[in-house]
Amino acid sequence: MNLSQFKNILRQVFVLPVVALLVVAGALYVQIRGSNSTVNLIQESDARISQATLLSKLIVDEESGLRGYETTGDARFLQPFYEAESHLQTEIQNLDNMAGGDADQKHDIADLRDEHQTWQDAFALPVIATVRGGGQTNDVDLNLHGKVLMDNVRHDLIDIIQKAEASRTRRIARWHRQVHTMLLVLLALALGMGVLIGLFTRSRLHAVSAAYRSSLDILGRRAEELYQSEQQLRTTLESIGDGVITCDAEGRIQMMNPVARELTGWSQTEAGGHQLEDVFRIVNETTREPVETPVAKVRRLDKIVGMANHHTILLRKDGTELDISDSAAPIRDKAGNTTGIVLVFRDITMERKTQEALISNEKLAVAGRLAATIAHEIHNPLDSVSNLLYLMRDGASPEESVRFMDMAQQELTRVTQISRAMLGLYRESKAPVVVDLKEMLEEILLLMERRLSDLGVKVTTNMPEPIEVAAFPAELRQVFTNLITNAAEAACQGGLIKISIEPQSAGVGVNGQKLQPGAIVTIADNGVGIPDDVQPHLFQPFFTTKGEQGTGLGLWVSRGIINKHGGTISVVSNMSETAHGTELSVFLATNPTINAAGD
Amino acid sequence: MKRNSNLVLCVDDERIGLEVRKILLERAGYRVLTASDGPSGLAIFASEPVEAVVLDYSMPGMDGGEIAIQMRQTKPGVPILLLSAYIGLAPEVTAAVDLYMTKGEGAPILLEKLDSLLQPVV
Repeated sequence: MNLSQFKNILRQVFVLPVVALLVVAGALYVQIRGSNSTVNLIQESDARISQATLLSKLIVDEESGLRGYETTGDARFLQPFYEAESHLQTEIQNLDNMAGGDADQKHDIADLRDEHQTWQDAFALPVIATVRGGGQTNDVDLNLHGKVLMDNVRHDLIDIIQKAEASRTRRIARWHRQVHTMLLVLLALALGMGVLIGLFTRSRLHAVSAAYRSSLDILGRRAEELYQSEQQLRTTLESIGDGVITCDAEGRIQMMNPVARELTGWSQTEAGGHQLEDVFRIVNETTREPVETPVAKVRRLDKIVGMANHHTILLRKDGTELDISDSAAPIRDKAGNTTGIVLVFRDITMERKTQEALISNEKLAVAGRLAATIAHEIHNPLDSVSNLLYLMRDGASPEESVRFMDMAQQELTRVTQISRAMLGLYRESKAPVVVDLKEMLEEILLLMERRLSDLGVKVTTNMPEPIEVAAFPAELRQVFTNLITNAAEAACQGGLIKISIEPQSAGVGVNGQKLQPGAIVTIADNGVGIPDDVQPHLFQPFFTTKGEQGTGLGLWVSRGIINKHGGTISVVSNMSETAHGTELSVFLATNPTINAAGD
Repeated sequence: MKRNSNLVLCVDDERIGLEVRKILLERAGYRVLTASDGPSGLAIFASEPVEAVVLDYSMPGMDGGEIAIQMRQTKPGVPILLLSAYIGLAPEVTAAVDLYMTKGEGAPILLEKLDSLLQPVV
């Protein structure tokens, strides 16, 4: 369950009781409205009863006044009669108004009005006239008739009151029923809503509870996974073959794995909290100057500093030294802030020795291949000289002898040239010397003449003037021999190799890079070209496209030598039908900083 | 010692070497034709009544092995002597020639081997 679902449940749990209460309130309102209506009707009945009672009193007053006047003949007794009479019609009309649309009541009221009018016309007014006229009104029949007429009026009034009371009683009973019903409805609604809210809330609580349990399970699993992951990382760090040191953002050591402890000679307790530079002391192999640690570089550049062999020596705690390569990376939190730095380094002493052995092996392979070519080169002129000596011994004329000696001399000059080139080939020098690249390439081509000729490859050169660079000549010869051999093998029968040297002046290149003064040697063939998927592997050790014929070390060693000379080597190849071929360019600086170890 | 005047074809890309070999064989009494590469050698071999061939192995383009195999197919009866600076030659190359020798063994050995190839079988 996510937060949105949880909020939805909270909303439902709030809204449902409110809706339930609104329903109950609605029902209560309907019921109260019904009851109020009934109460109004009861009050209406009460008003009718009061009105009828008032009419009774007025009739009593009227009759009493009449009786007093009839008995005394004093007109003052007629005052209540006339007063009652003046109100009576109005009050009867009021009673009639109260009856509303009730035809039965209206009929009773009409009867009352008629009966009263009859009493008044047939008895009261004649009696008054008689008394006023001085006549006698003690006639029994007349008074009995008046009594009957008044009894009718009273009977009508009683009937009206009784009916009003009966109506009142019914209405009160109805009100009681309504109140009872209201109570029952309220009770039922309260119970129903209570159960509904209870069930709903229970179901929602179950959902929340299930989600909570699920969250707890997930948290538990994650905690377990986190623990396992931490254990795996810990075990990996403990058993990894590289030294690993983690530092905080300020470069203070936090953790060292066993290899790091062994390589530096510091224990975790000794090193913990120290600045990395105190423990991981590195110097340049050649200059012995302290080198900026990868951790310091990461702090400065705020990015990963890759694994590279910068000919760095680690000074161990006991004073012994190790060749190492190192790298470092920042550890970042979620917001991308650097919270620490991890340093990885390894002892490459054996690796360096292996590399040196491989380079030496490649030198021997190049020497072996060249030796076979050179032997053939020497063999041919020696064979000619041997035959010429035989001819001279076999009775040649003096003229013939001179001619034969000239021919022998030519052949021996060729042998001498080859021999001189050979001597230079593997003459190692301890320091770089000035090398004329034009002269060197011409010597190499001389030595390779036979091999190139055998392969049916033509060579054109564009080396207009001597160009000198400081270099180890034997090593450069190895590189160019390698590159020309590769070009010749790629060009095949009838192919062409173009070799050129161009001087480069100091300045700024097209990409804004700083250009050193030096020379660019280009060796281009018109072979089929190198497939795109092969090109990235060309400078890797043991990568060869020549099967058993190649060691796979030629270009790797060549690049190492050129890098050692502070130069660069690059390849451009094209496999299109119209412009196929490969071009290798070597840049050599006029006065390079020679790197002792080569890469 | 004068030998017969058999017509011998010498094929070699080494200018001086070829010239010296021609003089040597002519002194020995042979008539000599020369070619400096495989195609011209094969053309002469096809057009002239060559009786023996002295062939250099290492040449640009077509090497002596290939030339010998083609000559064998054209005129199987003509003996071929292969000269080489290499010590080890492939079996299919040695199978295509009658004799082979390394350069530098000396003129007497060359003359002796060529003579032996042209001696009628008794």
